[in-house]
Amino acid sequence: MSITEIEDLLRGLAPQVLGAIVRRYGHFDTAEDATQEALIAAALQWPQDGIPDNPRAWLITVASRRLIDLLRREQARQRREETVAQWTLPDQRLAPAADRLVAEADDTLILLFMCCHPSLSPASQIALTLRAVGGLTTAEVARAFLVPEETMTRRISRAKQRIKESGIPFRMPPDGERAHRLGAVLHVLYLIFTEGYASTAGPSLYRTELAAEAIRLARMVHRLLPEDGEVTGLLALMLLTDARRPARAGPQGELIPLAEQDRSLWNAASIAEGVALITDALPKGATGPYQLQAAIAALHDEAPSAETTDWPQIVTLYALLLRIADNPVVALNHAVAVAMARGAQAGLALLDTLQADDRLADDHRLPAVRAHLLEMTGDRAGARDAYQAAARCATNLAQQRYLHARAARLIDDP
Amino acid sequence: MKYMILTYASQQDYDNMAGTATATPDWSAEDFAAMGAFMESFNKDLAESGELVETRGLTAPVHTRRIQLQQGVPVVTDGPYAETSEVLAGYWIVECDSFDRATEIAARLASCPAPLGVAQAAVADVRPIAESRAELDL
Repeated sequence: MSITEIEDLLRGLAPQVLGAIVRRYGHFDTAEDATQEALIAAALQWPQDGIPDNPRAWLITVASRRLIDLLRREQARQRREETVAQWTLPDQRLAPAADRLVAEADDTLILLFMCCHPSLSPASQIALTLRAVGGLTTAEVARAFLVPEETMTRRISRAKQRIKESGIPFRMPPDGERAHRLGAVLHVLYLIFTEGYASTAGPSLYRTELAAEAIRLARMVHRLLPEDGEVTGLLALMLLTDARRPARAGPQGELIPLAEQDRSLWNAASIAEGVALITDALPKGATGPYQLQAAIAALHDEAPSAETTDWPQIVTLYALLLRIADNPVVALNHAVAVAMARGAQAGLALLDTLQADDRLADDHRLPAVRAHLLEMTGDRAGARDAYQAAARCATNLAQQRYLHARAARLIDDP
Repeated sequence: MKYMILTYASQQDYDNMAGTATATPDWSAEDFAAMGAFMESFNKDLAESGELVETRGLTAPVHTRRIQLQQGVPVVTDGPYAETSEVLAGYWIVECDSFDRATEIAARLASCPAPLGVAQAAVADVRPIAESRAELDL
């Protein structure tokens, strides 16, 4: 087995091992250190000595020993019986064996539920998920979010402290809470993906490794909960969106809008997988926002060109989505779809109703959409002004250059 | 020892980079991409040598908000800068062995590709960072 294959194996096992250790012993913080050390030991030994027969049990054994060492050291230092009592509560003694086989899937899921607990801020949820479930180092998480490593270290240890203080038990949330808590998990994965797909600042448009990590985690959750339509929908949405990445920027890194992208560059395998997933999920019961967005993305991805896209169908899906969530960006996309299906004037009329929404006040997207629609109606001067207004609101230099270039095209050939 | 490397730009410089119609000099797509590529490799080198603590670019001066006391009350005003006044545009914090090494790093910025005239007018400053109280007390 190659080093990369071993790394992939270890990253898949990491959350299972951490989950098993926390289930057995508690002490999230120390358990994480112990798991990291077991993973390091494996990364050093396995390439030479070969993979053990049961890699997961090997890691759990090594991590357990290490955890006990660490706890003993702590105990010796504190020399207080309360400490001992704290880490051998009767209910912890009753925990099932750490290496029992049936628990693998549950442990990873429970760990995800724990990292995405509602008592943590979204930033902490994301950091903890990438670290504990994704197996990224603190330095990697810090780099992905463009913050100094020290800041990220503090953010993660505060989050772990929070979990400790809140006394969240390491077990599946009760049935009544589960749907709500899964919603939080999916939201965190979605935020990781969008952060990777459209970075909000700086000259570089995406940080691909974050998008790839989000897809990997979504795949894992889908494997654990194959019957959940929204999990399937989220995975499909990520695949269908990520499929367009190769065509989204030109050779100089400039933005290319969907309508003008070279569709032959789109990733056909990702599209096929995403379409199959969403086609399978849609007919099965309740349709949530991720499935609707995936269905819209699938319609775009399957169309040979912008003109031949099934716009009336997209209008219907956006209208459904608006009914579930009152979101101004969804309303903006709905207006674009209406313009494509029924003409630019119909879209512009919808934009007028959005003008009053405070949530879009400083956003460049409203004037940018208005500019595109005005250009469609042939109002070149109006479109130019709107493109320039959009450029003034945008903070990303690549987006500004795109908007100014669109405005300039309307001056050069009157 | 930590040092801060600072670079400056005016609203006009930002507008030129953003490709406004009146841009002089005009940054072509190639110019813009070349600058991006240079910065990426510059930062990567610093990260690999372990000297980079952090780096940030600031958005255009026009997005500035200024907070100032007026008759004892803090009042917020929008972008106070003139079109051509040069303000902080970005910074690097580096941790390296000597002031000379930090200067050497900053000097590399002079070879950042840019349209004619931009490079000639550009400056970078290097300033030592005051260490923490705890470190001073050692």
